Amino acid sequence: MNGPFSAYAQVGLAPPAVNAGVGPRNTTYAMATEDEPGGWGALLDPSNPLVWFGGFLLVTVGFASVAGSVRLGKAKVSAAVGKA
Amino acid sequence: MSQAGQPTVMMQGIETPVASVDPEAFFRNTRRLLYPMQSITPIAGLGSSNPTQLRQTGIIAGLEIRVTGTLVFGGTITGTIMSWRWPYNLIKACKVSANGQANLINCNGGQLKARGVMQPDSQDRGVTRVVNDVTGVDQGTLSLAAEDWGTSTTNLLGPNRTVPAIGTYTVDLSFFVPLAFDSKTLLGAIYAQTAATALSLDIDWETQANLVTLGGSATLTNPATTLNYQVNGIVYSIPNVGGKFVVPDLSAFHSMISTRTSALGQGDNEFILPGTGIGRQLMRVFYSVYTGTAPGAPLAMNAANFGQQAWRYGGNDTPELVQNGQQLRYLNERLFNSDIGRNWGYGCWDFANEWAFRDSVDEGTTSDLRLLINLVASPTTPYLEVCQETIFAAPVGA
Repeated sequence: MNGPFSAYAQVGLAPPAVNAGVGPRNTTYAMATEDEPGGWGALLDPSNPLVWFGGFLLVTVGFASVAGSVRLGKAKVSAAVGKA
Repeated sequence: MSQAGQPTVMMQGIETPVASVDPEAFFRNTRRLLYPMQSITPIAGLGSSNPTQLRQTGIIAGLEIRVTGTLVFGGTITGTIMSWRWPYNLIKACKVSANGQANLINCNGGQLKARGVMQPDSQDRGVTRVVNDVTGVDQGTLSLAAEDWGTSTTNLLGPNRTVPAIGTYTVDLSFFVPLAFDSKTLLGAIYAQTAATALSLDIDWETQANLVTLGGSATLTNPATTLNYQVNGIVYSIPNVGGKFVVPDLSAFHSMISTRTSALGQGDNEFILPGTGIGRQLMRVFYSVYTGTAPGAPLAMNAANFGQQAWRYGGNDTPELVQNGQQLRYLNERLFNSDIGRNWGYGCWDFANEWAFRDSVDEGTTSDLRLLINLVASPTTPYLEVCQETIFAAPVGA
């Protein structure tokens, strides 16, 4: 504890560590935010729960309506995936 | 209806009911208590020991020990003389153990009395006593006016005093045992509101041979039948504020430990303080040197007896040094308002009287902490008594 009545304030005795064997957190650890993904990259990061939710949705619903066609004069080009 | 288990926390290394550390709330709401911890009872005998179980209530700041009764001399008194150990070292060792810490206090009665004048608000009372067969000694006696070193009509006892006549000498002595380093902030006080551990006070009484030399035909009635002691405790209640028990900062213990060595010689003596280490702050260390036939006589702290005095650590780091004992004696008298070096020859390196936060010594950064004691003359069967007063972190702080 701190304050005018603490052992430290009276005689300079440092307070004992709360957890023996665990070093105090330093400021470098407390401010280490650069390793965290940010921006658009976060949408592809495996730690983002939205990525897993998207994968789950694809497997469950299937590629149901991924289809399309292009007509060029008399020719027609089409392609479909899944149950088109 | 069953009752849920009460939550507990660790305080001074023991399990206790939940309490909040809130010094301001504690000091505002606590009640000072003074009550007997040991009713008056005969001493076990010279050379014996009296164990006392302390009452486990509240926060104990200190103990008051009173020794009272008589010394009864008979036969032919010629050749009977009290030693320098009389009267205060009648208590050969006062030992207090609490909360898993054995012998937080372990020092003799003289050291308790000397420490009594070392706190900032204390000073010599100038009480006149007979010392070394000199009447009218009124400085450095460490005595309270209400004490009695031994009185039989107009005959008085004292240290190194020839017993004037046979008779019944009344005796009344008072010792304060400082469990808390500071009686105001209660730094180092003992958390006693628990049945998880025992709090004990042991008083070892000095041997008769070390207290008095009886003449060939003199007798002394067994003091176990004539001397008594009693103990009062100064305790602070643990108040309940807003539904919570509150306590002051109990994260530290206060310790006074005496050690003794006979490895002394003429010239420089370096005495390494035992038990130093990380997490300890040295508040003061004081000492005295006895020489001559046991139990010996103390060397007065002066230039004739003591050369350089210093404290030292590491290879040869010497922060404070005086050129002779007289300088240390001046230093001490100026600081304590008591000439502690005069009668029992105490010398003290004090780090707490002015400002402990600034001056106290961190033992974690001062390896091989030691005293330098230079003796001018070659001593005869000497011994050195050193008392260290420290503050150290309790096993688990509050």
